[in-house]
Amino acid sequence: MVDLSGKTRRELVERIKEISGQNPNLCMQCGTCSAGCTGREFMEFLPRQVMRMIQLGNAKALNCKSIWVCSTCLICTARCPRGIDIARLMEALRVINLRQGREVLIAEKIPVELLTQVPQMALTSGFRKLSA
Amino acid sequence: MRVPYFPGCTLHSKAKGLDYSTRASLAALGVELTELSHWTCCGTVFPLAQDNYIGMVAAARILANAAKEEGGRLVTVCSFCYNVLKRVNYVIQNNSEARQKLNDYLEENYTGEIQPVHPLEICKEHVGFNVIRNKAARSLKGLKVACYYGCMLVRPAAEMNFDDPENPTIMEGLVTALGAEVVEYPNKITCCGSYQVLHDNALVMQRVEDILNSAITKGAEAIITSCPLCQFNLDWLQEKILQKNAGFRQIPVLYFTQLLGLALELPQESLGLDQHYVDPRPLLVGA
Amino acid sequence: MAEEREMVNIYIMGKHYKVPYGLTIMKAMEYAGYRFIRGCGCRGGFCGACGTVYRKPGDFRLKVGLACQTVVEDGMYLTQIPFYPANKATYNLEELTPTLGTLLRYYPELTRCLGCNQCTRICPQELSVMDYMAAAQRGDIEKVAHMSFDCIMCGLCASRCPAETVQYNVAILARRLYGRHIAPRAQHLAKRVEEVKAGKFDEELDRLMKMDKEELQKLYNARDIEP
Repeated sequence: MVDLSGKTRRELVERIKEISGQNPNLCMQCGTCSAGCTGREFMEFLPRQVMRMIQLGNAKALNCKSIWVCSTCLICTARCPRGIDIARLMEALRVINLRQGREVLIAEKIPVELLTQVPQMALTSGFRKLSA
Repeated sequence: MRVPYFPGCTLHSKAKGLDYSTRASLAALGVELTELSHWTCCGTVFPLAQDNYIGMVAAARILANAAKEEGGRLVTVCSFCYNVLKRVNYVIQNNSEARQKLNDYLEENYTGEIQPVHPLEICKEHVGFNVIRNKAARSLKGLKVACYYGCMLVRPAAEMNFDDPENPTIMEGLVTALGAEVVEYPNKITCCGSYQVLHDNALVMQRVEDILNSAITKGAEAIITSCPLCQFNLDWLQEKILQKNAGFRQIPVLYFTQLLGLALELPQESLGLDQHYVDPRPLLVGA
Repeated sequence: MAEEREMVNIYIMGKHYKVPYGLTIMKAMEYAGYRFIRGCGCRGGFCGACGTVYRKPGDFRLKVGLACQTVVEDGMYLTQIPFYPANKATYNLEELTPTLGTLLRYYPELTRCLGCNQCTRICPQELSVMDYMAAAQRGDIEKVAHMSFDCIMCGLCASRCPAETVQYNVAILARRLYGRHIAPRAQHLAKRVEEVKAGKFDEELDRLMKMDKEELQKLYNARDIEP
């Protein structure tokens, strides 16, 4: 999975660019995104590192926890000095998974306590971002 | 002034207090909100994938329906609804391909003429904080309030065009007009963890603890917000924080409209103050 | 041939048949040799067992109808969708509360609704399915119950749902919650039940039970009929 041919890597980068509409190569690895990220302490790769993985076409980016703990709060996007909409790149990584049926928020596994107490907007948004 | 109003699903159930206090407060200020005759869920989150048109369909339909009403504006108070309606409207205005696709699908001819408006903007720009100061019969003098914006009201700045995205002050302006004291703290535009409450509870716990503690440390007695999900996360998780840390001091989290309603002396029992996990009444009834 | 003109061409699951003009889809399928074991119930347009999807040439849109009610048209492509294996919760109605939480507990996926409106488009009963799902998302159980009252549980809505929600099962849960826990009890019914239990009608029933058929018929024919 990790050792991909150059062609596969290029295809992955192109796919991410197409879905996100963003140019990951603008990233200069300053780490401003990571510094402000809401979920940073729960990620194995910080947003800056995910950006680097995308630049390199590293498919690990597709399988990392980071993309699923993103809460699309857009702090990264708001503060990127290179003007990259980083949240859109994170979404592209999720979307590639979700379109293949790989999801992390499974309706049946949500505890009843939560289901009956959360505002329904949490379910709607959670399902839209994290379920296939 | 009559303006079309989109409450959003949560305001019809879990956040009835937000719905009532918004309508009643604005009515007391001379702005009558008229609920759209039929509406669906707005979708809550704006789709960030360029090719996800279906994620914009519901919001586009709501906007197109609002355009059939008088007024040219659509008021919505829930931060999620406000964010997604405003962003989808921006797309319809600026992206001709998306505009065409959405209109073809909906069999509508909507070009983005509706202006989604937040009640905070109505308070500031249409009513005026000075007018509110004069109408607020009950002074909230001495009450120390931290304003919490979260993500959805302010980001992305270019599309939301709401306030300074790094240091918004519109809610503070309202709090000051009501005679209460604004507490400055560093977390007013950070994220509470949002829908991750369903997926990664530890993350939301940590974010909520951080936000609450920073407000409490600066002396806040109450936190106000306009988002039912922020309200839920910041409120509901306090019990769990307390279980973990017995020294934690709980703090009421309420909607800015509830504070406004109190100041305008609206019937207290209708404001939904009893619907919060951390009861704000001991603080506010005596305030 | 005159007889030939009376026939129309239809395509059942892609296979061509000539069937007499004026038949319902169900009759036409039987004419073509199909024998119904499932996908057929009351034959009167009420039970919802014979949901059918069809398309006419020159139109990309799918249409729906009940096979027992819809008359075949020339060139019709059709297939029945008598059953859809959609999520169906089991619950004890007595133990439930009529709240949004109950709807979400059994059908959390209802919040996945995208507002695409395909359910309303496909509903053979012409219900505003998307709108009652919107009401369900708000927790307005009474509204769901009223708006879905004419649902015949054919399941075609669920078959079209890109979010895999189960509109008709959400709706019947809402109707049950409404009927059991929200709708006001009928006072006159409670009173009448008490009267029955107290034996108020025993004498009259005994008298009826003892009548012969002729007497009963006479009585029946002379009964009061509401205008």
